[in-house]
Amino acid sequence: MKVSDLKELLIRSLDKEEDAGTTASKLEEAGVTFRFSEGFREKILDRIYSSGSSMAHEIEFVRDLNYVFYRIAVAGVAAIVVLLITLFFVQGSFSLNSFLGMGNSYDESIFCLLTGN
Amino acid sequence: MIKGSYRQKSENELIKATLDGDKLAFGEIVTRYQKMVARTVKSMLGDSVFSEDIGQEVFIKLFYSLSGFRGEAKLSTYIQKIAVNLTLNEIKRRKRFFSMFSQKGNNEMYEFEVADHETEEKKEASEIVSKALMNLDPKFRIIVAMRMLQGYSTKETAELLDLPLGTVLSRLSRAQQQLKDILRKL
Repeated sequence: MKVSDLKELLIRSLDKEEDAGTTASKLEEAGVTFRFSEGFREKILDRIYSSGSSMAHEIEFVRDLNYVFYRIAVAGVAAIVVLLITLFFVQGSFSLNSFLGMGNSYDESIFCLLTGN
Repeated sequence: MIKGSYRQKSENELIKATLDGDKLAFGEIVTRYQKMVARTVKSMLGDSVFSEDIGQEVFIKLFYSLSGFRGEAKLSTYIQKIAVNLTLNEIKRRKRFFSMFSQKGNNEMYEFEVADHETEEKKEASEIVSKALMNLDPKFRIIVAMRMLQGYSTKETAELLDLPLGTVLSRLSRAQQQLKDILRKL
């Protein structure tokens, strides 16, 4: 089938009056096929009969876990950014001392703090 | 029981045998309906490894819900509903995921693979249809896929998607307009 004929067929297939069944078979004749890969049936039978009834629930659980993970990851990154900005405003830098909360302390004051003098 | 004898069995006999633990009976159900499921899933999600996973999930879900199948609708309609629901869920899931990271549409993630043994002309036909479908808005795409590829009437499409007939008709007409624009560019 020529490309122009195929395009015409596709557009016409959505006409309300058109018989949809005819279009589907014409498209299949033109080579428009959708197939799963070889061994599709065997994969399904293996998954069902070798893994027991928990399989379907496991699949759902893993997919949901993935989804939740992405949400947590995004929230986590946002929290880290806010923390860094706060740190910068409070301590004035991103040095190691700032991270440890000692950005504004002098050695003497730490000594006093530790010894109580 | 020999494999060939399953081909002559009716849907109800296959369901009963599956529920009795006959693995090959369920295999026959998969064989009969995998092409129909592939048309729904692959036309909506593109030809990728994800489509294969969803296709497998359709049959796994069918297997675990077979005991609740009362035979009020045809088995093919029941399977088609599962396929449509899982595919739409996957599209929603992808949309959610992509909207978190980007404002772009999610069409970019689709892949196209055309079987090597097809002739050039058939390859081209498959590519045109796949690209046209993937460029359609998903809410139009499902209606177009049901009608164009599965051969369902507008009434059957409405029943399958749990949509009012008027909605299907209006979406069909908007889909046709969008499809015309897309095909002009291809």
